[in-house]
Amino acid sequence: MEQTYLTVTALTKYIKYKFDHDKHLRRIFLKGEISNFKHHSRGHFYFTLKDDGAQISAIMFATNANKVPFKPEDGMSVNVEGYISVYPQSGQYQIYVSSMNESGRGDLHVAYEQLKKKLTEKGLFDAVYKQPIPKYPKAIGVLTSPTGAAVRDIIHIVNRRFPLTNIIVYPTLVQGEYAKDSIVKQIKKANKDELVDVIILGRGGGSIEDLWPFNEEEVAYAIFESKLPIISSVGHETDFTISDFVSDLRAPTPSGGAEIAVPNQVDLLQYIGSLKERLNYNINHLVKRKSDILRNIEQSVVFRDPYRLTEKQTQQLLLLDEKLQLLSPKNKLDQYEKDLLNLRRRLENIIQKRVDYKRNQFDFAVSRLELLNPLSIMKKGYSVTMKNNEIIKSVEHIQQDEVIDVRFHDGQAKAKVLEIERMKK
Amino acid sequence: MAVENKKSFEESLKELEALVKQLENGDIELNQAVKKYQAGMELSEYCHTLLKEAEETIVKMMKDDNLVDFE
Repeated sequence: MEQTYLTVTALTKYIKYKFDHDKHLRRIFLKGEISNFKHHSRGHFYFTLKDDGAQISAIMFATNANKVPFKPEDGMSVNVEGYISVYPQSGQYQIYVSSMNESGRGDLHVAYEQLKKKLTEKGLFDAVYKQPIPKYPKAIGVLTSPTGAAVRDIIHIVNRRFPLTNIIVYPTLVQGEYAKDSIVKQIKKANKDELVDVIILGRGGGSIEDLWPFNEEEVAYAIFESKLPIISSVGHETDFTISDFVSDLRAPTPSGGAEIAVPNQVDLLQYIGSLKERLNYNINHLVKRKSDILRNIEQSVVFRDPYRLTEKQTQQLLLLDEKLQLLSPKNKLDQYEKDLLNLRRRLENIIQKRVDYKRNQFDFAVSRLELLNPLSIMKKGYSVTMKNNEIIKSVEHIQQDEVIDVRFHDGQAKAKVLEIERMKK
Repeated sequence: MAVENKKSFEESLKELEALVKQLENGDIELNQAVKKYQAGMELSEYCHTLLKEAEETIVKMMKDDNLVDFE
């Protein structure tokens, strides 16, 4: 028996026909949690609706999407109305949503909020625990999947911005049930190795389930206890995880994490240039200032008229000199000398007078003596008669014919007594 | 160049920044200032060279406690 083979298209057409003509599927009211939400540039919403047991792709065209009053996001629980059909190109059945209402947040989001609250209360997010990110890390530890786009982005950006920084990739599971343990283990390993200055922990974008390891309490504590500063860069700009809050710095994406981790060498070159300019400016400024000071000094009174500097002192010195001269022993000596001279003069005077006086006395005495000198009397014509060298004072002492001596002032003669005549008494 | 080759970029830059600050303070002897200026110029040149002549970022992977080349 010859088999007839259907084409895929034919089969799909048949299936689509079945869906489209099932009255139960023509108008569906469905509740579920949004996941993998994408807002297409043309305004359509693409997302997955799911619960614990199953999931279904959903599309909401722009005309309907524009009417949704809130911004749908992952984890949101919603009630939607729509119909089920098949999209032949992907072979997927999906729900074409015509309206959507928010019915509360999903379980994961509840868990997230609860953990966030708990850790906030415990202080894990406190700013005081945030470690500074080194400005110029020698090496960065990248904790992510070694095969993902995130690691490529990080390497590319680090290399472009600051190639002096090296990278050590710590291969880490960032999705699935083993991811939590893997992240914790690698954070501890990097801390133990001490080969890097900073850690970038992260992964590319994904659903809340994909990112869930970064919302685990154990991961939060591993980040908190890390001695190495950690930059968390999980998912996209709009994704926030517990890791983001507890880490030392949050980057919106892995690329952003790399940009935060290393400086930009273009900026640095410019900065170094500016430092160089400042060096030049400052040395010139300094030299100018010093020479200004020098010029000022040169023009100062002291230099132009150095005597001014010593004027006061000179006067003082003169004054002191005067005083000193007054006090000098030379003055005393002079005085003494004068006194001495005076005394000498007086002494001489006195002696002279005395001598004069004595001389006068002597002269007087001499003149008187002269008067008494018999010779001088004899000069007047008197003579002395003597016998046997004795003056004859009476005629009684001579005898007739006796020879006597007669002495004149200028000689003597011998005489003979011829006659004696006595005076009558 | 008088700068040691071992000096890291960060150390050099920090030193350079410190020198600029010291010069900016102004309260410094001219002799010292000139020395600091020269040291600063050498450091800035050195930093510049480090960046300009930097090779590509070295990327390794920690695999079972061993550093291996990353692909």
